[in-house]
Amino acid sequence: MSIRFKTLSELKELLEKKEISSYELVSETFKNISTSKTNSFITLDEKVALNKARDFDEGKVDGDLAGIPIAQKDLFCTKDLRTTCGSKILENFIPPYDATVVGNLSAAGSICVGKTNMDEFAMGSSNETSYYGSVRNPWDLERVPGGSSGGSAAAVSEGLVCAATGTDTGGSIRQPAALCGITGIKPTYGRASRWGMIAFASSLDQAGAFARNAEDCALLLNHICSHDSKDSTSISDERENYLDNINNDLKGKKIGIIKEFDISSLNREVQDSFEQSKRIFEALGANFVEVSMPNIKLSVPTYYVVAPAECSSNLSRFDGVKYGYRAKDVDNLEELYIKSRSEGFGDEVKRRILIGTYVLSAGFYDAYYKKAQQSRRMIKNDFVNAFSEVDVIMSPSSPSSAFKIGSKTEDPIEMYLEDLFTISSNLAGVPAMSIPHGFSDGLPIGLQLIGNYLEESNILNFAHQYQKNSDWHFKTPDLGESS
Amino acid sequence: MDNKTVETISYLARLELEKDKKEKITKDLESIINFVAELQDLNTEDIAPLANPLEKVAPKREDSVTSKSRKAAFLSNSPESDQDYFIVPKVVE
Repeated sequence: MSIRFKTLSELKELLEKKEISSYELVSETFKNISTSKTNSFITLDEKVALNKARDFDEGKVDGDLAGIPIAQKDLFCTKDLRTTCGSKILENFIPPYDATVVGNLSAAGSICVGKTNMDEFAMGSSNETSYYGSVRNPWDLERVPGGSSGGSAAAVSEGLVCAATGTDTGGSIRQPAALCGITGIKPTYGRASRWGMIAFASSLDQAGAFARNAEDCALLLNHICSHDSKDSTSISDERENYLDNINNDLKGKKIGIIKEFDISSLNREVQDSFEQSKRIFEALGANFVEVSMPNIKLSVPTYYVVAPAECSSNLSRFDGVKYGYRAKDVDNLEELYIKSRSEGFGDEVKRRILIGTYVLSAGFYDAYYKKAQQSRRMIKNDFVNAFSEVDVIMSPSSPSSAFKIGSKTEDPIEMYLEDLFTISSNLAGVPAMSIPHGFSDGLPIGLQLIGNYLEESNILNFAHQYQKNSDWHFKTPDLGESS
Repeated sequence: MDNKTVETISYLARLELEKDKKEKITKDLESIINFVAELQDLNTEDIAPLANPLEKVAPKREDSVTSKSRKAAFLSNSPESDQDYFIVPKVVE
């Protein structure tokens, strides 16, 4: 039986009916990974995964996700399993503990098969900054899968695993989900614990999920989200069952379209898909309302002050002393710091550390960092105002479909604009997701649904109803010889 | 963004730029700083800075021991250590 492209819910049912064993499922997964051409994984954990599958088959494990192979983004610490964050500086780092998200998913019985490739320290929108090589998009191996969670998105898109974790600081789940033609969700900031996630920009970072559809994402969020006293920004609200409301009626619900996002400047196919998706929601009884968010155009510049500032502070911990890469042949401690960091970090990470250092330095702090924090509040206020009028906000997930590997690496600003539509949700901290909704140049594109604070259920409801009335999420790449 | 500024911030960040990449990085930094400079014209009078989207106060907890010492586990990740310490080049002459 081919397990490729099966959804999480389908695999769960096959296991429950004993039509397949977890051992078969996990073995088949590793077989598929071994012939894959996408470079989606950095580290595999075959022996441990097969042992866990055997335990499940012997009835020793239960749980909502029991026996199901999944992948973890290599940004989550995994106990006794190498965690590189896509960087040379952590090439040999073996965490002595599990991230809370990893622990939660293991407690639900899922089996981690390996760690997925990513932009170095999650800094990138194309997965080209990884020390372990670019990930290739399964729809066209010459193109990027998006980033930073490109390995997770490509692995699910290619049908290597039915689900994977990701993290989203400025669009790192939604943009690769869109470019790989799958579903991805970033919950409200604080919903999922950041404990054990290697920090990039702590006030923006949030864990989330990739799957083949919204229903599976809801099932995954049930385990990914939890209150955690080890994360001081963790939300203590009671955990809800995200599957409870996905079948609600959309009649009379209001969808906001952001006036300041100029859709007409995007290519014809992106515009047509957007119009087509509007008609699907209209047929389901939802109404469209234009909302004005005058400060949203400040999102990308605001982000490129706030995120590098937090990154320069967070990444100061990598000094070659307690863990990570240490440079050889140094004469003194300062040289040890400088050489270890300079040899261990890649160019994009250095660029962002330098920008962060600059905007936080004496004389520039007020002009850049404080100003960006003020504009961040103005952007947040725009969302608060918009959500007093509408239930969800809808936009494209990215300006275009996947671009060619190498085509945007020369100009950092051009790469940064990839996240034009996604960044504002991180600055405000609201939940958002991307679902497949068409093709441009023969490659998948995504529709973004943004919800009010703590209303993950609401966007999952919209996404699930959309997927019950469309077939974009059933489309799969032609893998040629590798399948 | 001139060479001197780049040298100063590189030192503050304890980074050394390779000679052949210095020019490109300086150019990139300049274009990023120009790109974010539009924020400077923004009227932000009476707008309080927002550091965290939830604006939560850090929760307090009991001051108690929550986990056992795992010295060996943590030292094992160090590039150089003995049974008790992380080892670095000599600091005091």
